[in-house]
Amino acid sequence: MSYASRLTADRSAREALVPAVLGGLLVVYFLIPFVAFLSRTGTANVIEGLSSPGARDAIRNSLLTAPVSTAVATVFGVPLAYVLARRSFPGKRLVEAVVILPLVLPPVVGGAMLLTAVGQFTPLGSTAAALGVPLTNSLLGVVLAQVFVAAPFVIVTARAGFGAVDERLEQASRSLGYGPLATFWHVSLPMARGAIVAGVVLTFARAIGEFGATMMVAYNPRTMPTRIWVEFITGGIDEIIPLAVGLLGITLAVVISIQRIGRVPTVIGR
Amino acid sequence: MMLELDSVTHRYDDQPAVEDISFGVEAGELVAVLGPSGCGKTTLVQAIAGHVRPSEGRVRLRGDDVTTDPPEARDVGLVFQEPTLFPHMTVGENVAYGLGPAGVTDPERQVSEYLDLVALDERRSLRPDELSGGQKRRVELARALAPEPDLLLLDEPLSALDRQLREQLRDEISRIHSETGVTTLFVTHDQEEAMALADRLVVMNEGSVAAVGAPRALYERPPNLFVAEFLGRSNTITVDVTGDRAAVELGGTTRQLADESQASPDRAVCHLRPRDLTLESESTAAAVSLSGHVRSVSDLGRRYEVTVELACGDEVVVEQRTEPPAVGDAVRVEASADALSVFTKNGVRLTHETAEPSLQSTAELRVG
Repeated sequence: MSYASRLTADRSAREALVPAVLGGLLVVYFLIPFVAFLSRTGTANVIEGLSSPGARDAIRNSLLTAPVSTAVATVFGVPLAYVLARRSFPGKRLVEAVVILPLVLPPVVGGAMLLTAVGQFTPLGSTAAALGVPLTNSLLGVVLAQVFVAAPFVIVTARAGFGAVDERLEQASRSLGYGPLATFWHVSLPMARGAIVAGVVLTFARAIGEFGATMMVAYNPRTMPTRIWVEFITGGIDEIIPLAVGLLGITLAVVISIQRIGRVPTVIGR
Repeated sequence: MMLELDSVTHRYDDQPAVEDISFGVEAGELVAVLGPSGCGKTTLVQAIAGHVRPSEGRVRLRGDDVTTDPPEARDVGLVFQEPTLFPHMTVGENVAYGLGPAGVTDPERQVSEYLDLVALDERRSLRPDELSGGQKRRVELARALAPEPDLLLLDEPLSALDRQLREQLRDEISRIHSETGVTTLFVTHDQEEAMALADRLVVMNEGSVAAVGAPRALYERPPNLFVAEFLGRSNTITVDVTGDRAAVELGGTTRQLADESQASPDRAVCHLRPRDLTLESESTAAAVSLSGHVRSVSDLGRRYEVTVELACGDEVVVEQRTEPPAVGDAVRVEASADALSVFTKNGVRLTHETAEPSLQSTAELRVG
């Protein structure tokens, strides 16, 4: 190694020291509880705990509601993200603020607000209950809570994805004979695909882990997070380990798929 | 008339981008819209393509008013300055993209035909990011042409390329135009590019049309100072309007102003191209002869550029192929009478001539 390049290497090592130490501390802080928690689990214990009828119900409810919430958030959120990325209109700032609101609101407060809107004694809630579709303490209630809390993730991420698509590509598509919807379908959507999928995955992870708002709107039927809370109250830490590990497993699968999608060639960032 | 713009004006938040633009393009013609960056060329292209709805005025294609039609209904091919190939499609898919809406019966054959036109048929299964910059341009031309549009709009298509590639593609655009005969509007800030390609020029300045005409005619008889200075290199010398404000005098040539009212109160601008000037050590019989001394000389290989400070204080550049004088030498800068154009201070041409540039008929020449 030449003197000059050794000097550069030394310098870059020195310059990286401070951020490395600061970041390293945070990583260690993330890891310690993770390791400590997992060290209390035994395999047999986990499988046994997950196969109890109550746990199976909770897993079923979570795996039923979170995908539905994610689908609802995506179907309604992606078009909104596109409009926010492409159009300017009066009141746009207000719409943007409203989209961010559930992100900054404590979920439990969000759940309380939802109750004041769709609770069983409100006009909306009582009408729906009379029609046989109760909006609280039902799987539909769980979905309402999850969508409220988790939908902003896919909107914000997809919006960034659409924003990164050069508008001239859409203009080229229009000039080649495609209308706005066909252009969205053939150009904008595939080009923002990476960002949208990442947003969908984040929304799913947030929805399946949702507790605060769900607890307010639909304490029953139990989802994995609400059951974890109930078991913690009655039995302490060791009682919740099986479900917590199950939820962790699902979440990890989600993170891995984010990373896999991150490597999918996309145009964003090129 | 394939394309007709009628008083097109567009404002962004009250800020005018183009104002009162009117010109037409005949079927099969290649017209260049030429102007400095920021003069509203792109807004004009967008208005023709339908991506911008002009605040005022009409856009007519094939004689029909399309001002409010969406882009997909216009049959206008568009190529931008920056590449806009769809990165998630192959070259072939990109070229085939516009064929579906155009209702082409045999898209495969048409893709081959247009990729052949740009000599890239063997690259059809590649992704756009596997192509070089020049190849991308050519695929974009093929994609824009494949649906056989009535009008091809090229918005600074060569500006992002390096010089050699630019000249190559310029020739290619010229060849494609003559082979397909497609009516083409070519937008550029590069006057050399515009003059080399176009049947007619539309020169734009600050959102308005400064001149429309054949490239050679505009170069040789610029209707105003902006066109004179924008098309080719220029020297300007500000002179007093003499006598009863009806004539200017430069280096022995007196120009009678045809219309007194055109002259701004006391000053006028004389315009001479560097290549029309010669350097002499002694005064000759040239119509315009000015004294000065050499300030600097640059050697550009195939010619020298000699900067001369005139006795009046203005500097002029003289192009010359022979051995230049030394810095500091006293010289005469000379030109023939027809090399001289005179404009008002505001850049309006002082038309002292009749239609033919036979200067002697109306200008009083005095050899000095």
